[in-house]
Amino acid sequence: MILLASAIDTAIIGKGLMIGGGFIGPGIGIGIIGGNYLQAVGRNPEAAKFLGQALVFVAIVELFALLAFASIFIVS
Amino acid sequence: MNLLNVVATTGPKVYIAPAPIGHFLGLTITNSMLYGWICLVAMIVLFTWVAHRMSIKPKGGFIQYVELVVEFITNTVETAFEDKSKARKYLPYFVTLFCFLLFNNLSGMLPFANDAFTAHNMPLLRPMTGDLNTTLAAAVVTMGLVYTASIRETGSVRKYFRHFFIGSPLNPLYLVLGLLEMLSDVTRVISLSLRLFLNIAIGEIIVAVFAYLGHILAPVSAVAFYLIDGFDGALQAFIFTILAIMYLAIVVNQATEAKHHGLTHGVDPETMSPNLARDGMDS
Repeated sequence: MILLASAIDTAIIGKGLMIGGGFIGPGIGIGIIGGNYLQAVGRNPEAAKFLGQALVFVAIVELFALLAFASIFIVS
Repeated sequence: MNLLNVVATTGPKVYIAPAPIGHFLGLTITNSMLYGWICLVAMIVLFTWVAHRMSIKPKGGFIQYVELVVEFITNTVETAFEDKSKARKYLPYFVTLFCFLLFNNLSGMLPFANDAFTAHNMPLLRPMTGDLNTTLAAAVVTMGLVYTASIRETGSVRKYFRHFFIGSPLNPLYLVLGLLEMLSDVTRVISLSLRLFLNIAIGEIIVAVFAYLGHILAPVSAVAFYLIDGFDGALQAFIFTILAIMYLAIVVNQATEAKHHGLTHGVDPETMSPNLARDGMDS
């Protein structure tokens, strides 16, 4: 058991969990933004001009995914 | 080819930090600084040339695209500010900021960037915005402008701090909300700089990873991510600019509104809204 634990590189597992866990939230968030934007356009086609504002919120949500991605370079 | 190359130990070349390539007058010159200077010179030459070629009658060609970009930012700024003369006043900075970020974000896509030339086993040219120093400097300068302009537009430092509180600061609820608002204001520098830096640096990394995974088919495997990188570079330049515009416009609009209606800050929202509604009906 001790041999097995020393043979596994736990940093790799940590990085994988970090990427996987960190991308769930922003994935859901961007999905909600995009879905609501399309719903608004479907209800009122005039709302299509708000794509720029929707993208701003996508960028705000995306930051957290990028932070998770950047953190894997800290783990060693 | 050997499929085991995919799991080879070398891996793709990933660069997060800038690498020093030389010293000049005691300063360390990094690769991102060098490429940034090249881009700046190219920008100055290009825009000087465009400015001398401007004409009322459109001639088409490259000048048209520069006009398109400038007009796009002009429209964005003018819709954000209620007072159009204020928008005109702050417009040049935002146009400069957008063009600077757009140039530097897209410069990483050129064929001679990154691994094309190397010095001391590190790339000679890296995109300038893929370096936290640059984006932090851009964010600090931008937020410095926002704070200075906000204090000047609202009148005094006291009035500027007053705008964080929607009601009287002696009310505990408004006090906590105002302090939270101040805290979120402080994090703006960090969030602006980190967002731009991580998007550009990680865009480069993703292209490098997929080019590595594709091996001899690198052009096929990386082209989609390369195009996303280009789109993302333009989008992040726009987002940095529009967030800076919003941060400034919120305070300036409040100050304009207060001056216009002869109201001082700190009036209760309950007593403020009927006034505004009545004014709106009269006019």
